Amino acid sequence: MKDFMMIFVGKEYVDLGMSPDELQGRMEKWFAWGEKMEKAGILRGGEALTPQIRRVTGKNRTVTDLTSAEVKEIVGGFYLIKAKDFDAVQEIAQDFPDYDLGNTVEIREIMVFDR
Amino acid sequence: MEHKDIDHLFRHHSGKMVSVLTRIFGLQHLDIIEDAVQDTFIKASITWRKQKPEHPEAWLTKAAKNRVLDIFRTLKSQKNNLPNITQGTDAIAINELFLDAEIEDAQLRMIFTACHPKLDPRDRISFALKTVSGFSIKEIASALLTKEETIKKRLLRARKAIKKANLQFNIPQGKTLQERLDSVMEVLYLIFNEGFHSNSKDQLIRTELCGEALRLCKLLLKHKQTQLPESYALFALMCFHSARLEAKKSANNEVLDLKQQDRTLWHFPLIQLGNTMMHKAVETEVFSCYHYEAAIAAEHLQAETFENTNWTKILHWYNELYELQPMPSHLLTMAVICIQTKNYKTADTYFKQLQPEDLEQRAYLYYAAKADYFAETNNYNEALVQLDMALKTVTNTLEKAYLLKKQSAWLQF
Repeated sequence: MKDFMMIFVGKEYVDLGMSPDELQGRMEKWFAWGEKMEKAGILRGGEALTPQIRRVTGKNRTVTDLTSAEVKEIVGGFYLIKAKDFDAVQEIAQDFPDYDLGNTVEIREIMVFDR
Repeated sequence: MEHKDIDHLFRHHSGKMVSVLTRIFGLQHLDIIEDAVQDTFIKASITWRKQKPEHPEAWLTKAAKNRVLDIFRTLKSQKNNLPNITQGTDAIAINELFLDAEIEDAQLRMIFTACHPKLDPRDRISFALKTVSGFSIKEIASALLTKEETIKKRLLRARKAIKKANLQFNIPQGKTLQERLDSVMEVLYLIFNEGFHSNSKDQLIRTELCGEALRLCKLLLKHKQTQLPESYALFALMCFHSARLEAKKSANNEVLDLKQQDRTLWHFPLIQLGNTMMHKAVETEVFSCYHYEAAIAAEHLQAETFENTNWTKILHWYNELYELQPMPSHLLTMAVICIQTKNYKTADTYFKQLQPEDLEQRAYLYYAAKADYFAETNNYNEALVQLDMALKTVTNTLEKAYLLKKQSAWLQF
């Protein structure tokens, strides 16, 4: 088994003018997905990120403050899971609730360093 | 946490919190309040992904309360003259506003605001669905079969009207109460009808609109000043109609009329609830339009088959209704009932009081009824002339198909 990260990229709920009913519907789906992974014993962790961004770039360490509304896409959160390979994670990622918003799941393997 | 407990929790909670916060901060801050409440739901939708709270409603209320303080700080820094609510007796008073009974009181104030005569009648429904019921612009648009842009304009206009008239956030008292309540009931009735008679293929939205109207009407019944015979009658009417909601749609999503409906699909508990409400409604000397409409709906529900319908009684109620509300559509219905009971003479007297133009875009209903009248009295030539007129004016494709079927049958004679 290897460690993978599923990174969620795209639009934030806060910028989409969603109704309370829609938000609740999505929350239920996220919850069901998390619970499913938990039951399968593959969930290692995960976090959701707030839509505020502070960027520090370049050799001048230029600082920019942004919100999700000002960028094309934003990383909204991630899950860490155990799986056999990329195909297995792809299968797990089928339950991501926000594909219909045009959002993306980026699957990355956690690098193992030789000791 | 049971799923049924949480069904529409966010939506319903939205209306509650917007109302309570408006009571605290005043209608002039409605924009900020709606945004703040929306924020708490976004926060919940993300925080609850991992772990749902044991008491979701309490969690949301607490989050909204915290937002109150946040907004308050913002407003304060913008130098608005607001009382200091973070401490002392004001803070205690505010906590009390979040108790169930006070939440209902605040919601009722919001309903009265949404249905205020200073608002354009077209804007009232949209505004009520947004602020009291927690629908989004998109949901309102699809429920009312209108463009999102139009709804946005209506909401904007409603808010402007509220500001311009400097409306107070209260439940009207004394002489104005009756007039204001009439307007509230009219809006609830319209919301219900939007759901019940909607041409939308989306059964879910139709059910939700009817459910929403019922929920809001229930709020009227819970409050001493608004639990009047006519509000009970309106609630009964909604129960009776709702009982038939499922049976109104065929497997192919077509609208079925009373004659075609499978009566075993009617929802009995709602009929019972309607009957209970009707008993309370009739404890008065003066009946409203809602009383008569409910009586008509109840009469239909009592018949085990369409053929067993007590048309004499229904016609009687329609006559009473017409006295109160002289609408051409009632006359037409009365004429149709008379044809049904083969009372052609009386049918003719009703037709004589009517002009097709009175029914505006539904003039085809007049011609179609007239055609039936002639067919029943074996005057097929005249029946076909009328049917032709009906076909010329009908726009709905389903109705047109129905009329064409009739035409080909009559051409056989």
